[in-house]
Amino acid sequence: MNYSTSQFKNGMKLILDGNPCSIVNNEIVKPGKGQAFNRVKFKDLITGKTLEKTYKSGESLEGADVMELEMQYLYSDGEKWHFMEPESFEQFDLSEESMGSAINYLVEQDNCIVTLWNNNPITVVPPNQVILEVIDTDPGLKGDTAGTGGKPATLNTGVVVQVPLFVGIGDKVKVDTRTNEYSGRA
Amino acid sequence: MSEVKKNLVRYQDLIIKIREFFYSHKVTEVQTPSLLLSPTTDVYIDSIEVKVNQAISRSAELYLHTSPELEMKQLLSKGSGDIFQICQVYRDNEYGQNNSNEFTMLEFYRIDFDMHHLMEDITDLLVALGKTEVVTKISYAQAFFQYGNIDILDSDLEDLKKIANSLGLSSNYDWAEDLQTLLFVHLIEPKINQIPICFIYDYPKEQAALAKIEGSIAHRFELYLDGVEVANGYQEIQTANEYRDRFNTELYKRDKISKKTSLVDEEFLKEIKDGLPNCSGVAIGIERLFSTISL
Repeated sequence: MNYSTSQFKNGMKLILDGNPCSIVNNEIVKPGKGQAFNRVKFKDLITGKTLEKTYKSGESLEGADVMELEMQYLYSDGEKWHFMEPESFEQFDLSEESMGSAINYLVEQDNCIVTLWNNNPITVVPPNQVILEVIDTDPGLKGDTAGTGGKPATLNTGVVVQVPLFVGIGDKVKVDTRTNEYSGRA
Repeated sequence: MSEVKKNLVRYQDLIIKIREFFYSHKVTEVQTPSLLLSPTTDVYIDSIEVKVNQAISRSAELYLHTSPELEMKQLLSKGSGDIFQICQVYRDNEYGQNNSNEFTMLEFYRIDFDMHHLMEDITDLLVALGKTEVVTKISYAQAFFQYGNIDILDSDLEDLKKIANSLGLSSNYDWAEDLQTLLFVHLIEPKINQIPICFIYDYPKEQAALAKIEGSIAHRFELYLDGVEVANGYQEIQTANEYRDRFNTELYKRDKISKKTSLVDEEFLKEIKDGLPNCSGVAIGIERLFSTISL
């Protein structure tokens, strides 16, 4: 199904250069002496990149069959990451490339948002905050309780996050997945 | 004071200041008819048609003016001298954050002003309205060099199509001027929205509208405030024959893209048969101006 510029609105999912994209901003520009245009900002749902295009009024783009569903992360077999939609029990899998940085934050049983395009998963967004376990870090220096400097800690997903000096192996920490920053002890 | 009242008073102050500016420059305020016999010929502006006098069997089709331009030019050709007007204007098929079917226009003409002189005059008006930021003046061609690395005056229809394609935009346009405008909207406007006061001048001749042409450029300018087009001005063409040619060009284009066309407004051409004095004129959108100033 095609959508004309007059139907464009924020959040609409359309196919652009072969990829599903979401409209982030749609601005109608009508120059005093020219024809009307839509200046549109898209987010490419696969690459995450922002694209800017300008269309004359009346142009149309193909709609993208895109759905965002809450799913449970089940397990990884090393090649694919497997998810389950909890209502239908339908299972989906994503490649490492499609997982993107979500790989760093998901542990089994976690809930996350999976985007499906034509019923195929394309991206995963982890929760904003996740709780992970420290599996490796240098012991904190004695006497230094201010935690000014911080130190790298490897968490159970493999991701490395700067943590305060008092955090030790086996501690559970909260991590903000949008910034990859330590946000407190769990 | 209620918010409504505050806003009304602020708007009133704007109108008072505009009037004071022109009165002090000995520019005469005029009022011209807004119900016209002919629709505009502008290819991308549509007049709103109104039917009148049906009940008294004197049915006629009239058109709400889309700007007071042609009525004011009749006054100019008859010796009015410098004139200005503040009025409501009406346009069909307008929609968007900055567009509607009715808006308020300030239109004024200054005798013996060239385009640059008129831009200075507008700058003085903005100062009188409290808008005192630095003014940027940049030619249409320079804007394209600077922001798009494009030689716009030396690009023909085929060149422009290639540029549009390279940007991932449709090149399905019939005329060079439409692609110029597409590229301006796509590449230039998002850049100049960082500039508080920006005049763009010397448009390509294909976009002359009713401005004097010299070589490959037309003495036309636009004023952008924070990237929003607020004014459009010309050093005006002067003879009835030039107007006839420009109207015919627009009507030809309207016909080409299957828009409603009318006959050339012979009444207007007769009224200006002695020609316009050497002058420049500009139309300013009052609502858009109002939204960018703090009185």
